[in-house]
Amino acid sequence: MHRYASFLLIVTCLFQSPAAIAAIATTPVTIVAHALGEATIAGHPDRVVSLYQGATDTAVALGIKPIGVVESWTEKPMYQYLREALQGVTYLGLETQPDLERIAWLSPDLIVGARNRHRTIYPLLKRIAPTVIPGDVYDFKALLTLMAKATGRTARGEELLTHWQERVEDFRTRIRQKLDEQWPQEVAILSFRADHARIYYGGFARSVLDELGFTAPASHRQESWGIKLTSQESIPAMDAEAVFIFMEDDPAVQRTFNTWSSHPLWKNLKAVRHNDVYQVDPVTWNMGAGIIAANRMLDELYQHYDLHQPEHRGCIQC
Amino acid sequence: MNRTLILRSRNDRWSVKLNARVLLVTVVLAALLAISSVLALTSGSHPTSVTDVLGTLVAPNQSELALIILEIRLPRILMAILVGAALGSAGLILQGLVRNPLASPDVIGITSGASAAAVLFLWLGGITGTSLLLAPVAMGGAFVVALGITALAWQRGISPARLVLVGVGLAAGLTAVTTLLLVLSPDATAMNAYIWLTGSLYASQWHDVIALAPWLMVCWPLALIKLRHLDAQSMGEEMALGLGSALQGHRLLFLVLAVALAGSAVAYAGAIGFIGLIAPHMARRLVNSGHTGLLPIAALIGALILLYADWVGRVAFIPRDLPAGIFVAGIGAPFFVYLLYRLRRELG
Repeated sequence: MHRYASFLLIVTCLFQSPAAIAAIATTPVTIVAHALGEATIAGHPDRVVSLYQGATDTAVALGIKPIGVVESWTEKPMYQYLREALQGVTYLGLETQPDLERIAWLSPDLIVGARNRHRTIYPLLKRIAPTVIPGDVYDFKALLTLMAKATGRTARGEELLTHWQERVEDFRTRIRQKLDEQWPQEVAILSFRADHARIYYGGFARSVLDELGFTAPASHRQESWGIKLTSQESIPAMDAEAVFIFMEDDPAVQRTFNTWSSHPLWKNLKAVRHNDVYQVDPVTWNMGAGIIAANRMLDELYQHYDLHQPEHRGCIQC
Repeated sequence: MNRTLILRSRNDRWSVKLNARVLLVTVVLAALLAISSVLALTSGSHPTSVTDVLGTLVAPNQSELALIILEIRLPRILMAILVGAALGSAGLILQGLVRNPLASPDVIGITSGASAAAVLFLWLGGITGTSLLLAPVAMGGAFVVALGITALAWQRGISPARLVLVGVGLAAGLTAVTTLLLVLSPDATAMNAYIWLTGSLYASQWHDVIALAPWLMVCWPLALIKLRHLDAQSMGEEMALGLGSALQGHRLLFLVLAVALAGSAVAYAGAIGFIGLIAPHMARRLVNSGHTGLLPIAALIGALILLYADWVGRVAFIPRDLPAGIFVAGIGAPFFVYLLYRLRRELG
């Protein structure tokens, strides 16, 4: 493929003015393989368009201010934790149907999309600018590696990953000391919505918890994303040694939570009896989906388990 | 007042009767559609002038403007026209076939069949499934349901009244299946499914236009030739038989035509409702003619409704792009209530 690209380069050069040849010759070309094909990227793209939340988070971590991003799911138009870094950015509408014309007018150097959302528009995106689509939306490290490569910031990407790895090691050592025999702890991830409750078997938060060494209850070790519960009779299915709950700041959601958590079965849960129920930030645990969100999740865990956190540096926001 | 033009071939092998009013209304609507399309082509996140648009259409170049107009706006507008026309025609044929003004592809289960199949497909495929197969699968669902309805309603031939009742029943059952699948789906899949169920022309591309157009090119001429038999049927079964029309054969043909038109439209644009219901009624208000004359008018009205609905969804809430189905339902639902109200008064 490299050979083909350089051949193409030579052919293109034959039809270019000398100045243009000089420009092309000095611009390195990167070929990045991704979930839906390959993208040929010239130079180090600065004009990046992000079409999903994880990509926006990762771009900021890499030190790129995207020229266009899609709106966030809550805290619209953008999550508080990313807002400062994204002042004056162009909003492209919803993640599900981003404004294609506005993307084209921005004339980006690179577009980052998600497989489950942008598969149908991928042919159009690819004509606007080189487009990369990561394979798994929950694998924030693969996303970081992919975007670092596509934007020519591999050194920065590796630095962020090493920094993350060090933090993970530190957390594992400290929590093992703290919980002693109770480690590894079995934890469940729950969420409440206006009309139902959820148990998450997979997803971003679960993958981070797995990496940190937490375990999941046997019945939660499934391939699917999770389950929606509508009957309070299923509360025992939520049982674990500790429970993390994230929910949106909404009166209807709060009502559901109040009803469920005042149920006798709820009070009978192991985690509730031992007072190991933690309410966590829905944005960092479920929506951010990038390296910054992962680091913020880790911050919360240090706090919840009351562990001493060493001064860390490296990531501006982490 | 109702002047007619009659064109005959020299040896009298064929003749065409043209109603002057039908001709006039068709030409006016077609002109309106053409003007609206050009105006729709000029508006978007960055409005472009009519001269720019026409210039790009005549001499395409490699600019961003050309990409936006030729690859993003144009296929989408063409899809709105094709899908709207297909749904309007399907509604007209169905209403004539079952002789009930409230029949439409979404009422008798064709759309529900396509929806259930599409949601099942999305659910099974989840994140990894390819979306290219979605349209054929949805169309398959429409045909399977149509077959089911016909089989269940069969009683020594197709009985229109049973067709409607069985259709409504099946539609209700299929809606239950769709809801169940949505509850079982993860968020991302459910959201894709919801957008499909609302009906959206977002990201329509040339390959969609190329896939949908042949269905219309086959169904439409066939409908134009055969629709006079529907006029005979509307006078009653005995009259139709007396006039030498093959009643059951034609009923089956019209059912297949309606399913093919509605099924293909819904497969590519999602479950857009109401157009099949409203467009024929509006056509009947405009002209008093047989089904052949009503067909182009119902099709043009359907195309206009969807073109405008998609236009509003695309432009009114920039940068958010909203599914056209929302706006079609916005006009469609009140119109449906109005129809019910009027029917009650006429019957009561």
